[in-house]
Amino acid sequence: MAGKSGRSISAQSDQNWKKRILSWEGVLILLFLMVNLFCMVISPSYKPVNVLREMPKYLTEVFLLLPMAYILILGEIDLSVGATVCLSATTACLAGNAGVPFPVVLLIGILTGTACGLFNGIAVTLFTELPSMIVTLATMIIFRGVAEIALGSGGSVSLKNNQGFRAMAGKIGPVPYIFFVVIIAAVIFTFLLSKTTFGRKLYAIGSNRKASYFSGIHVQKIRLLVYSVAGMMAGISAMFLVSVLYGANTTTGSGFELDAIAMAVFGGISTAGGKGKLAGAIISAFIIICLRIGLGQINMNPQVILVILGTLLILAVMIPEIVKNVKRKQL
Amino acid sequence: MRKQMVCGVLCAAMVFGTLAGCSGKTETGGNQSSVAQDGGGSSSGKTYAVITKSAGNPYNEKIAQGFQKVIEAEGGTCIVKHPESATADAQVSVIQSLISQGVDSICIAGNDENALQAALEDAMAAGIKVSCLDSKVNKDSRQTFVNQAGIKEIGQALMEAVYDISGGEGDWAILSATSQATNQNAWIESMKEVMKEEKYSKLNLVEVAYGDDEPQKSTDQTQALLSKYPDLKVICAPTTVGINAAAKVLQDEKSKVKLTGLGLPSEMAEYIGDDEAHSCPYMYLWNPLDVGSLGAYTSMALVEGKITGKAGDKFKAGEMGDYQVIEASDGGTEIILGPPFKFDSSNIAEWKSVY
Repeated sequence: MAGKSGRSISAQSDQNWKKRILSWEGVLILLFLMVNLFCMVISPSYKPVNVLREMPKYLTEVFLLLPMAYILILGEIDLSVGATVCLSATTACLAGNAGVPFPVVLLIGILTGTACGLFNGIAVTLFTELPSMIVTLATMIIFRGVAEIALGSGGSVSLKNNQGFRAMAGKIGPVPYIFFVVIIAAVIFTFLLSKTTFGRKLYAIGSNRKASYFSGIHVQKIRLLVYSVAGMMAGISAMFLVSVLYGANTTTGSGFELDAIAMAVFGGISTAGGKGKLAGAIISAFIIICLRIGLGQINMNPQVILVILGTLLILAVMIPEIVKNVKRKQL
Repeated sequence: MRKQMVCGVLCAAMVFGTLAGCSGKTETGGNQSSVAQDGGGSSSGKTYAVITKSAGNPYNEKIAQGFQKVIEAEGGTCIVKHPESATADAQVSVIQSLISQGVDSICIAGNDENALQAALEDAMAAGIKVSCLDSKVNKDSRQTFVNQAGIKEIGQALMEAVYDISGGEGDWAILSATSQATNQNAWIESMKEVMKEEKYSKLNLVEVAYGDDEPQKSTDQTQALLSKYPDLKVICAPTTVGINAAAKVLQDEKSKVKLTGLGLPSEMAEYIGDDEAHSCPYMYLWNPLDVGSLGAYTSMALVEGKITGKAGDKFKAGEMGDYQVIEASDGGTEIILGPPFKFDSSNIAEWKSVY
């Protein structure tokens, strides 16, 4: 299943059911069920209707997780998405307050995000020897800086007319719209990654960029595309965040990039690239969201919640390594 | 492969154990978790929540203490909630969580004036009484606001202090918290308004610096002010974190620059004094315990239906006396606690042990 490097680039998925259940994704599903059970036990208010109502704010981060998984599979990282969310939200709100009609506001927000992503993409493809972490660290500071300049001394902007965004925060029954959008996006991203040649190319580049290049993969084109998509998704995330906050401020989206990376790594995606499945990342996102909601409902100190999430994350990274070491010793 | 499964199950069990342990601890911890399981009924069984700006904010913690004391003395259940970080985003999650728990009232110190509107409207739609204290949220997000001091009174008091300490002329600077803190901006605006008077014409406000209510950043900003403006006479820091950091910098460097503003007596005691060795001649603040208490009485009056948050409503706040809901400058309503209190070398000793 895995080569010497521990990476799997085989196009054939594991057909064996046993293997599938025993995979990391299987463990995550089990963990997801356990977390939900646990939350139901500890909190009497942990009911579907409440969980769904609390979810929209957390779901905005899942939009960032999907492209982040792609970028991590490429063996790279994008630290600027949180700042992109801030900048997109800011421009959209400013445009909205300038009297631009709602659909155009949405378009402006998403285009701002895409432009930020494109900027990242151009920077990392033009200077291929620069590590993406440094490039996106720089653009993170730039994007947030631009947003802060646009926001002015007050540091925040609120929508004068929030009708459109109010509608966006609506629900079908108890299920908020954002939930459906997240699911659709997740399905598209998962399909592209696991069922198309584009997905295989991502794994190939992440495993060995040079070899992929010499095999005729347009490495730089794909990197440019992935970074732009990350920006676009940050724009979409920002629009849903605005529908929760009716505005933007300098702290909007802060820490989102790290949350997205944490969810992806917890889901079994390797930061070294070429390894991991999106399904795992999506399940782990819901594990983290449900845990946060459940523990929030019993009024646990939020700092304790952060410690728990951090512990979970480090376990998720350590356990596969330990298993590998144990196996190696047995051989 | 079997090993992997065993490992997975062990991991899950471990996590489960950790979580169970943690939740157990918080439950016995007392002040954090008291979930409203009966969902209301008799007036003493009501649940009142107070949301701070962030954990580790000493001023907000005192407010929460004052709030909790009153609620528990009256037989209610009090939930003190700290958001994960000092942002409006984090407070949205906290509000949503409290709606799920079905509390009877929420009293919040907002991290952003407008960003909590959607969440707080949800809360009001769910029948929860919403008020705010310390830092207000906009008029559509609240029923009323417990104002620790009228903005005008603060601006006037601080400006008078700057005038007095500087000797009526020279450069002075403001060290604020974050650039979007509602109360900070309102006070700064009010000071600028007061400064337009002829009396203050010789005073020159050189910069408004933002320390983001972080000790290190506030320290850095103070040092930057000192090096940028050699003729600086006074720094006014209307934030408890900022004034504490600035006081330490000025006193350690034996700077001639003097300090005033709003600070906690317990933190500022060693810096307050009239002689050269102390960096802060005097400062102002109100009693956060009283702010919290008034917030609690307001929440109770709202839940019991004694007031609705309309201007003209009157209620009795226990031993604190009678208060009236009045029109606020933003079109909503507010309840004003009283003028700020001056702390100087004569009274700091008795106050430093209080809060």
